[in-house]
Amino acid sequence: MKDLLRLKTSLKEEIENILNEQIKVEAHSSAIYLAMSSWCDDQGLDFSAGFFEKQAEEERNHMMKIFKYVNDRGGRAISPEIQNIPKDFESFRSVFELALEQEMHVTQQFNNIAEQCMKHKDFVTFQFLQWFLEEQIEEEYVARRILDMFDVIGEEGTGRWEIDKHVQKVSYSEE
Amino acid sequence: MFWSECEMCIDHNQLKQLYKSEIGAFYQCSSKNCYWLEFAGEWHPLKVSDFLFFKKEIDSIDLLSMLEDPSRTSDLAIVQSYRAKRCFLLNVHEILQLRELLRAARFMIELNSVLHERLQQQLI
Repeated sequence: MKDLLRLKTSLKEEIENILNEQIKVEAHSSAIYLAMSSWCDDQGLDFSAGFFEKQAEEERNHMMKIFKYVNDRGGRAISPEIQNIPKDFESFRSVFELALEQEMHVTQQFNNIAEQCMKHKDFVTFQFLQWFLEEQIEEEYVARRILDMFDVIGEEGTGRWEIDKHVQKVSYSEE
Repeated sequence: MFWSECEMCIDHNQLKQLYKSEIGAFYQCSSKNCYWLEFAGEWHPLKVSDFLFFKKEIDSIDLLSMLEDPSRTSDLAIVQSYRAKRCFLLNVHEILQLRELLRAARFMIELNSVLHERLQQQLI
C-alpha cells in the first residue's frame, strides 16, 4: 500500500506541532518588541525605540524562516493568533529585563524542539535549528549587555539619555 | 472535480481498509492518493493534508466546555472541511467515536510508513 503520508510530508506530527508553536512564540516576541518600541518612543527614548523596532522585525523574520520550513517539508504552517501584548511598562530598565526574559524563554523553546528532534530522530530539523540556537547566543548577550549598562551608567541625571544613546551600539562578536 | 475523481475509487473497488469500528471505517485509495472516511453512513473523500487538518480540528474540540455549558448551543459541534461535501454536526458521543476512528486510522497510516521504511532498508 502506498505511503501517502510520507509522499505528502517528511515532518512527524509532533515536530510539525512544536514548530507551529514556535511560530507563535516568534510572532508573540515580535509583537512584544513592537509594544516596547512604541513605549520607548512615547518616553522620548528614540534610540531604544529604533532598537526594539529592529528586534521586532528580526523576530518576524525568524518566524517566517520556520513558517517557510514547515511548508517546504510538506507540513502546514499555521498563521498565529497573537494575544496578551502589554501596552505599558513599569520602567526603562524593566523593558530590557523583560526583553532578556523573553529571549531566554525563546532559547528554552528551541532547546525543547531540539530535544524532540533527537527523540524522533529528525536530524534534518535538528540541523535546521542550529542557526536559531546560535542566533540566541547573540540575542541573550545583547539583552544582558544593555542591562549591564543600567548598572554601569545608572539612570540618574543624564544616565537614561546615555543608555539610550548606547543601546544600538551593543553587538555580539564571537572573538 | 476531486470528489468525482475519487468516487471512481469506490466504483472500482480500489479501496484498502485501514480501520473499521462500529460507527465507521477508514480507507486508502492508492490510485487517487486519497483517503475515504465512512462515518454515520456517509462517505467523505479526504486528501492527505485535509485528513491531517480535519483530525486536528476534531481533536481540538473542547469537550469539557461542551459538557459544562448547559445552553442548547453547546449540545453540538459543527465541523466543516472546505473540500468535504457536508459539514459534520456532532454530539459529544459522536465526537469521541470519530476521534477514536481518526486516531486509529492515523496509527495505521504511521505503521504503514514504518513498514515502508524497514522494507526500504532491507532492499538496499
